[in-house]
Amino acid sequence: MNNKVISLAEAVATVPNGATLALGGNTLHRSPSAAVHELIRQGKKGLNLVKTAGAYDVDILCGAGVASAVTAGFIGYENVFGMAGLYRQAVEAGRVQACEHACYSVIAGLRAAAQGVPFMPVAGLTDSDVPAAQGFRPVIDPYTGQSVVAIPAITPDVAIIHVHEADTQGNARIWGTLFEDVLMVTAARRVILTTERVVDGQTFTAQPELTTIAGFMVDMVVEAPHGAWPCSCAGLYDYDAEYLAEYVACTRTAEDFQRFLRRVTR
Amino acid sequence: MPPLTPDIMLPIALARLLRDGETVFHGVASPVPMVAILLAKRLHAPNLVYLNITGSIDPTPAALPASTVDPRLLQGTRSLVTLTDLFDLSARGKLDTAFLSGVQIDALGQINMSLIPGPNGDVHRPKVRLPGGAGSACIMPTAKRTLLWRTKHDPRTFVERVSFKTTGGRVDRVVTPLCVFRRIEGRLTVESIHPYSSPGEVQAQTGFALNLPPAVPITPPPTPEELAALEAVDPEKVRLIEF
Repeated sequence: MNNKVISLAEAVATVPNGATLALGGNTLHRSPSAAVHELIRQGKKGLNLVKTAGAYDVDILCGAGVASAVTAGFIGYENVFGMAGLYRQAVEAGRVQACEHACYSVIAGLRAAAQGVPFMPVAGLTDSDVPAAQGFRPVIDPYTGQSVVAIPAITPDVAIIHVHEADTQGNARIWGTLFEDVLMVTAARRVILTTERVVDGQTFTAQPELTTIAGFMVDMVVEAPHGAWPCSCAGLYDYDAEYLAEYVACTRTAEDFQRFLRRVTR
Repeated sequence: MPPLTPDIMLPIALARLLRDGETVFHGVASPVPMVAILLAKRLHAPNLVYLNITGSIDPTPAALPASTVDPRLLQGTRSLVTLTDLFDLSARGKLDTAFLSGVQIDALGQINMSLIPGPNGDVHRPKVRLPGGAGSACIMPTAKRTLLWRTKHDPRTFVERVSFKTTGGRVDRVVTPLCVFRRIEGRLTVESIHPYSSPGEVQAQTGFALNLPPAVPITPPPTPEELAALEAVDPEKVRLIEF
């Protein structure tokens, strides 16, 4: 059997500069943070990040100069730590392009990619300045003549998803909320899993329906215990409020942030 | 009795708007709607179907989370849907009520969660980049009704016209720390003013003309039952993170 387990550094090294990169999880929860830190360590450039709702992952990648575009519906720390300051600064300074979506239109774009079609009609976006700003165009339903907004396919070059358990072939289980992660797996050209632990896949055979990611769609598996930290990982650990508070405080000046980055990536 | 404050009045006023048996959704960054929904379920809407981004249904969290996507919102759920399922529900017209908010909310009930444009209306290089509307641009036009809430009521928030329209849609009511707006013939109209505020204050803090009638109804103050339920639902006052 094909053993797909490799090191974090080796896996992240395969992400090319300029790639469209989907990140699993949602806001403060189950982000592939270990991989995010490794992307910074390796000095990646020009990534277009895809996510419905991001927080620490998108913010720090914008601050570190790794991201040049963000395709998402929401970027922020919710009420816990407020606005994503580095994302905001980078967009306002023109270093990062905000490709604003509704969360559902990110899903529509990923669905188009997963289904192998060039675009996906989406309900809504009918009373919004977002389509004009982003160049989303209407299509006419050939059967009824009605107009509907068409979202172009979003095909991530790579998706990085953090999971609770994976076997050496990439069969994987996520506990609790899946977010858009399984859709990202089917939409992306290549898939990297980081996992809390690599387990014996034989143990999955008793209840295969709990294994929501099928190994044949996965390219690489990285064992990364605590790999969502400082975000939460359902059933295992909460988000690290103390660390995140310190991080947010350090994003206010460039000097503090650079010092913080050195600490995170050493 | 404690003095009546916005963190008490706002969730109670929102809870009163919810109906038994309906499907109700809140998204990210929504502690006040989370409390309002749990409050309504405890008071008058036990069969309300409580939906949120974790995909849990009618969760019964032992302690309320500050993040409203937190795994704590999985506690007590007997099934799990995906976020895609929830958006699909709204898209096909089966979501009864959505809770949404805006950094700006205008006289027409349109919201801006996106950006303040740069010079010459540049939306690609904005003066201020805001978090983004999350699902609102798809949900607000497709859900049967939207309840907006905002924990700040000032002229910068309540503007005649939003600087960028993240979305308009089927807004029914807007509840603020000072009053309840109802959208009538496409325009926000003050329905009631909270007991501790006044018509003068509401107009002074609102950036569009309200054309208040001589006698504006007062929002009924919380009943002892409502106050007890609020204490039971949110004893740690997690909702204060929004105020």
